[in-house]
Amino acid sequence: MNYELKNKQTFAGGIHPKSAEKLAKDCKIEPFPVPKQVAVMLSQHIGAICKPLVKKGDDVKIGQKIGETDAFVSAAVHSPVNGKVKDIALQSHVVAGRSKAIIIETDLENNPQKQLCKDKFNENFSAEKYSAEEICNAVNEAGIVGLGGAGFPTRVKLEPNPRLPKKTLIINGCECEPCITGDYRIMLEWTNQMIAGVKLAKKASGCSDVFIGIEDNKPKAIKTIIETLEKSSNNEKIKVVPLETKYPQGGERQLIKAVLGINVPTGGIPPMLGVVVLNVATAAAIAEAVVEKAPLTHRVVTITGKTIAKPANYYVPIGTAVNELLEFAGGVTEKSAKVVLGGPMMGIAIADLTTPVTKTTGAVTVLTKQEIGKAKFACQQTACIRCGRCLEVCPEHLNPTKIAHAVKNDMLDVAEDYYIKACIECGCCSYICPANIEVAGYIKTGKIFLARQK
Amino acid sequence: MILADIYQLWSSIWPAGVTMLALGSGFAIILLIASEKLKVEIDPKIEQIQEALPSLDCGGCGFAGCGQYAKAVLANPDLLGKCAPGGQKSTEAIAKILNLQVSDSAAPKRPIVHCKGHTKDKTFNAIYQGIQSCIAANALSPAQACKFGCLGLGDCVSVCKFDAISIIDGLATIDYEKCTGCGACAKHCPRGLIEMVPFSQEKMMTVACSSKESGKVTRTMCKVGCIGCGICVKMGEHFTIENNLARVDYENYQPSEKNQTALNKCPKKVIIETGKKCKA
Repeated sequence: MNYELKNKQTFAGGIHPKSAEKLAKDCKIEPFPVPKQVAVMLSQHIGAICKPLVKKGDDVKIGQKIGETDAFVSAAVHSPVNGKVKDIALQSHVVAGRSKAIIIETDLENNPQKQLCKDKFNENFSAEKYSAEEICNAVNEAGIVGLGGAGFPTRVKLEPNPRLPKKTLIINGCECEPCITGDYRIMLEWTNQMIAGVKLAKKASGCSDVFIGIEDNKPKAIKTIIETLEKSSNNEKIKVVPLETKYPQGGERQLIKAVLGINVPTGGIPPMLGVVVLNVATAAAIAEAVVEKAPLTHRVVTITGKTIAKPANYYVPIGTAVNELLEFAGGVTEKSAKVVLGGPMMGIAIADLTTPVTKTTGAVTVLTKQEIGKAKFACQQTACIRCGRCLEVCPEHLNPTKIAHAVKNDMLDVAEDYYIKACIECGCCSYICPANIEVAGYIKTGKIFLARQK
Repeated sequence: MILADIYQLWSSIWPAGVTMLALGSGFAIILLIASEKLKVEIDPKIEQIQEALPSLDCGGCGFAGCGQYAKAVLANPDLLGKCAPGGQKSTEAIAKILNLQVSDSAAPKRPIVHCKGHTKDKTFNAIYQGIQSCIAANALSPAQACKFGCLGLGDCVSVCKFDAISIIDGLATIDYEKCTGCGACAKHCPRGLIEMVPFSQEKMMTVACSSKESGKVTRTMCKVGCIGCGICVKMGEHFTIENNLARVDYENYQPSEKNQTALNKCPKKVIIETGKKCKA
């Protein structure tokens, strides 16, 4: 093995959530049974909302494109099942509150479960026979977006841009959110498929350097990937970079700082530095889209929480309701206090359990009162004592308490002066605050206020 | 002896006194000249307009305060009549100063909260424990089933400068005695529940609901939601239905027997009279 765990790279700031347990760490990715009904959101990504291509009463097939737009930043949506369009109606949406969705009633007799396609790839996969344009088109057709959580359309990231040439491709295998294990399982089980995706992404974007950043609490994943790379010829010169286990190591800007040692300027984006960051799950989806011509209709979702009977990683049809997932995993008990889509740090609590899984839903975390903390659960905030812990942990080196108090007191100009827009909403400040102040919450609220002013 | 002492004292004081006097009068002359030479011409009209305004600095006109508005209205007479707290009286006074004709007095605008759901009427999916502000609660997936109704966290209360709005049992309630019609609450409601309505009558009739969902869904969300049944349109004179929601045509509203019947016949009792001397 040619990696050294001692010289692990990292960024300044961040936290080490201690109590987090990766409950679903050793659970293999299993296909999820076909649900009775799916609700495919027309807005599952950053960018323009899709227009439905089907009408109420239409029959749809697995993989059929059911929503699309002409906008540059957008991604098509596809049906994950065979069935009939029951309605096009509003559904609870994690980010937008409510948004339009295509509700499909599944034809239960005629619905094969989607098989994993990890076995169709081996170490000797070569991206040579695909042209860059071919890969970009396939990614576009498959409607692939960043599966890490933000949901930025992948085609926009990969497509060559003459103004901003791309040099470096970083594959994000950090999975820094405590509790989530989907990416870890992908790295372990779908290694060949993922590396095939990396090769394709490299070919499409024309990057010369490829790094895979993995946190050092996943030594198995690091080992498996290095061994797989060694078995193949590794013509692409893919490098595995072990990183310190720290939250938010998997944040795009933090990852670039840790791997390359360069800062993405405030208000800037990684393409300005010629860097493309892709998640491991996205890489696996690219491989499937290009080689199998299969659209993105399923994704790996971790279901975890102390009150969940069987924490697991499922390959879930996009559009499945959260309560179906929870029921399949053993259901919630009375001790459960909060259901969060995403990890415990950045996930968003949902009020409606019929909220469907979207392309960006990486996990369903069920938290108990104890885990949230009694005082935090009851919103028992005390006054800020100016201890400065939030300043220490802020990975963007902001002054969270100043911004939060400015928002609280309706001084948005002050909040703007302190770079409220540079906040990545990682929630380190709220986690560390001894006074239980929901610092990140206030900052997020301030951003909404600012957006409304314009 | 005493005289000699006084003389001695005087002889030691007078140079200081004279110096002070000389300095004082010197500066006074400089200031006098400066005040004449560097004088800033202020239109006396601005001061007059400011006097005609209520000096509440509520910002309802869209300017930072009464002073700014006075300047703006002098430069651009089209802005006349923007002062809601001053009302017709201010407008006429300003028009007199500017030698303008006031068009027929429009009815003063007052806010109406288009929701009637108190905490006991609403259905909740979950308990909201986030930041106690409507704008934050509205951004999340709805803990309150009705995504149109009042969240009752009081963003409107905090912006009201006249203490005219309060949250009673989870519903924003306006005190029309105190309200000046500045419109701050209507601007800040993240759900757009509060609408500025011309109060042509002392009491206005309104459909206190904003739910555009179908009647079936509205029933599950709220006990007092408009289900769009259309009885008010049939019975009354000034009602219309759009998107499963009845609305009063505020521009043409006149109190009448027919409208009163519509109010009484509403199956959800969601049509109410609002305004001064109305029970909240």
